[in-house]
Amino acid sequence: MRLALLIIFSVLLIAPAPLHARDKVLDIQEVTSPGGIKAWLVEDHSIPVIALKFSFKGAGAALDPASKQGLSRIVSNTLDEGAGDLDSQSFQKELRDLSIGLHFGSGRDNFGGNLKTLTRNKDRAFELMHLALTKPRFDPEPVGRMIASNQSRIRSSLSDPDWMAVRLLNDMAFEGHPYALNSGGTLSTLQSITSIDLDNFVKFRLGKNNLIISAAGDITPEELATTLDTIFGELPQVALQPAPNLETQNQGKTAVYERDIPQTVIEMIQPGIARTDPDFHTAQIMNYVLGGSGFGSRLMEEVREKRGLAYGIYSGFYLSDHFKGFSVSTATANANTKHVLDIIKAEWSKMLNKPVSQEEIDNAKSYLIGSLPLSLTSTDSIASILLSLQGDGLPIDYLEQRENGIKAASIEDVTRVTKRILDPEKFVTILVGKPEGVTASKTYETLPNVE
Amino acid sequence: MIYGLFPARKPSKFIFMIRLFILIVFMITPLQAYAQTEVKADSSTQGEKVFNAETFKLDNGLEIVVIPNHRTPVVTHMVWYKVGGADEMQGKSGIAHFMEHLMFKGSDGLASGEFSKTVKKLGGNDNAFTGQDYTAYFQSIAVEHLEKVMTMEAGRMRGMNPPLQEVESERKVILEERRQRTDNDPRGRFGEQMNAALYVNHPYGTPVIGWFHEMEQLSWDDAKTFYDKWYGPNNAVLIVSGDVTGAQVHELAKKIYGPLARVDSIPVRSRTISPPLYAQTKVLQRHPAIRQAVIQRNYRVPSYRQNAKDSLALQVIEEIMGGGATSRFYKSLVIEQKLATGAGMSYRADSWDDTTLSVHATPAPGKHPEEIERAIEQELRKLVSEGITAEELQDSKTRMQAAAIYARDSLSGPAMAFGHALATGSSVDDVEYWPGRIEEVTAEQAQDVARRFLDPDGKYDHPPVTGYLLPSAEKEVALENMVQDEVVEIEPAANDNTEDGQSANTKEATP
Repeated sequence: MRLALLIIFSVLLIAPAPLHARDKVLDIQEVTSPGGIKAWLVEDHSIPVIALKFSFKGAGAALDPASKQGLSRIVSNTLDEGAGDLDSQSFQKELRDLSIGLHFGSGRDNFGGNLKTLTRNKDRAFELMHLALTKPRFDPEPVGRMIASNQSRIRSSLSDPDWMAVRLLNDMAFEGHPYALNSGGTLSTLQSITSIDLDNFVKFRLGKNNLIISAAGDITPEELATTLDTIFGELPQVALQPAPNLETQNQGKTAVYERDIPQTVIEMIQPGIARTDPDFHTAQIMNYVLGGSGFGSRLMEEVREKRGLAYGIYSGFYLSDHFKGFSVSTATANANTKHVLDIIKAEWSKMLNKPVSQEEIDNAKSYLIGSLPLSLTSTDSIASILLSLQGDGLPIDYLEQRENGIKAASIEDVTRVTKRILDPEKFVTILVGKPEGVTASKTYETLPNVE
Repeated sequence: MIYGLFPARKPSKFIFMIRLFILIVFMITPLQAYAQTEVKADSSTQGEKVFNAETFKLDNGLEIVVIPNHRTPVVTHMVWYKVGGADEMQGKSGIAHFMEHLMFKGSDGLASGEFSKTVKKLGGNDNAFTGQDYTAYFQSIAVEHLEKVMTMEAGRMRGMNPPLQEVESERKVILEERRQRTDNDPRGRFGEQMNAALYVNHPYGTPVIGWFHEMEQLSWDDAKTFYDKWYGPNNAVLIVSGDVTGAQVHELAKKIYGPLARVDSIPVRSRTISPPLYAQTKVLQRHPAIRQAVIQRNYRVPSYRQNAKDSLALQVIEEIMGGGATSRFYKSLVIEQKLATGAGMSYRADSWDDTTLSVHATPAPGKHPEEIERAIEQELRKLVSEGITAEELQDSKTRMQAAAIYARDSLSGPAMAFGHALATGSSVDDVEYWPGRIEEVTAEQAQDVARRFLDPDGKYDHPPVTGYLLPSAEKEVALENMVQDEVVEIEPAANDNTEDGQSANTKEATP
């Protein structure tokens, strides 16, 4: 009954409404399968494409033991390398012949999957996803191949200073916590991963009770309901031990990894704020003004536009289950490193000591609200947004709440939240290159958790 | 490589995004047709159109493509100029890309930086990028602001007038861009060297970003000369994708772009031609930061504009030889012979002149690049002598047809596809009827192009270039086995290393 009403509702909304904004940002339906599995759906039959995304909360790399770093990554690379009666090549060939996009991925917190299919191939697509999740084969050949390919990826990254800077930032800022480990594995830990590890991963981490699901595109709520049971109905209940929460480690320290390159890569992080925090909308405005917006942001104006010191400079929130950060990244010629760091600090002080202008706040609001529809232009991106809302435990009408929250923020709110968040003394700073004029509190000789 | 105005959030991710667009474009639109050549037999208009775009042309020569898509009340508005790095004056490398940056630095009625700030205020995003054959500017924004962004875009088509101090600081920005994307990672320089060796006496051998020493000398006079020569409505394509109709866009464009005068001085594109080359070229680059060797072999082959029939057949070959985990190269080199941890083939159809077909592999530990090169040649010989099977042909076509459906599931993707096509000499029909034309490719054609362009034992006017990017430690091993016809060796300079932006997926801190 409820489902039927939802369909009517959504059909009305899907009628094109050109040249004026719609009442709702996005018409999201909650669908519950006969077996009790829930998903969020945005129906759209204009293109014969269906996107289905899901995530096993808390099942990601933070649970990988230090001696098996990269385990989640290898599972994500091998679940689609053979399942049931299909060996690796047969499974991959079916995916390719039917143009089914079936991918798994692992972050530090969650382990997830994406399915994208043409409507005409949906039944087989759902069946293949079901097989991959419930009867993965983990044959020695593909497992060995994926380990080798990840080892290649790591070796390739060793000439990429951006990658190195991020690796070091994780090592410093998350010291002592599983987040400090290398979620992509190290050359040696990858080698130690066996098919038993992979089997256990699936058995103990992927459960019906830590699953969130989103769908978008050419599928009705009824059909999605049935599909949910087909794909996920057999999954067990699992009990996961979450990693502890974490404060930024090594605050105020600057680490240098010296490389013989013309430019120094700069990565900085200080404590941040959660997306579920009532101040988050206001914090987004602060970030937009400071460094989140690209052109027009204070950092971009000072570093790039006025002085030509970098190709780009950005600030942003680092949001994970157990750590909330606020980061800045850029790259500048070695000789300018100190200059750029000084500008960043000065902009922090300016934000802290002087209220933002009404014009700045108005510009931030109109962008943050007005740009949302730009991320709703493909089946895939809509499904991603639905999943991310659920991942953070946000309500189904969050996009409307967000709009109201942003609109409501005043100059005083921004000042208060800025003082709550920004603290230049708490920065962990990573420099990769040959930075000039900088005193390091730590120097790295090698990259940790890579070999 | 394509250079953009600014990185979106993280530089490497932006590049990655652009690459994805191109992939879409490629899969979907071969983008180039051989529009006005004699190969008429292939300009079929069979089958259904992919996008159902509407086209118009203004009296001043501005071409217009509209791709209606009413899913969300937003539009992507793009202007593509048919000029890029390959159209630069000698000694002024990077000027096309520098001009692209300067287009944001103030024009009649807009202060420096005001363009992007205005777009942002209206809730939109904007950016720009430069390739060898095109320079493009775009905004994605709520449909009610289309008129505003059109007005600003029209304003800078002929009215650029940046303050000189802005030119000075922006020159520093492009030098930082070059450091970040090319010079900070040896892989960036390797790509540049491979191109330089393949395109001898042809502008495609010069990087779009420019050579550092020439970039340092670029002035506003250089940029202005280039701008006055190439920028105008009759050398541009306007593309609007999104919640609009063709009639709406046509009306707006007449009003806003219509008053701009045609520029009669716009030259016909003519590039220097590569002479026949007689040596097998090998590019060997060693660097202490390299831990994973790379091998690549690049061929010069026809673009879609040059020969549509050959280009379509090459697209089928690319799909069979290099398209993913079940492709021939991957199966043979990675799964069966265990010589490599990755292998593939890529072919870009969207180019004004010759284009590059690249075969690449990542050697497995202990495997010498030469072994891999031999294995690649073996696969190519098999392709030349035995051709492709009926099943391979059919499967590849089915996949490419599906890619065309997926391509519609995007706002800016279709606009990108048309932009690439029209800027490199193809037509709207070439994009719209791509699936039907792929359907007509035969196994004989595929074998024929393989024989003519990819035969390891063939003789070519422009022989392929084979490149090895190696760690310093392997020096002795590699050198002794090298065929020493012509070795372009790049000694690592003191201040060497780079970031090429291709490793977006290795950003482990990105949740």
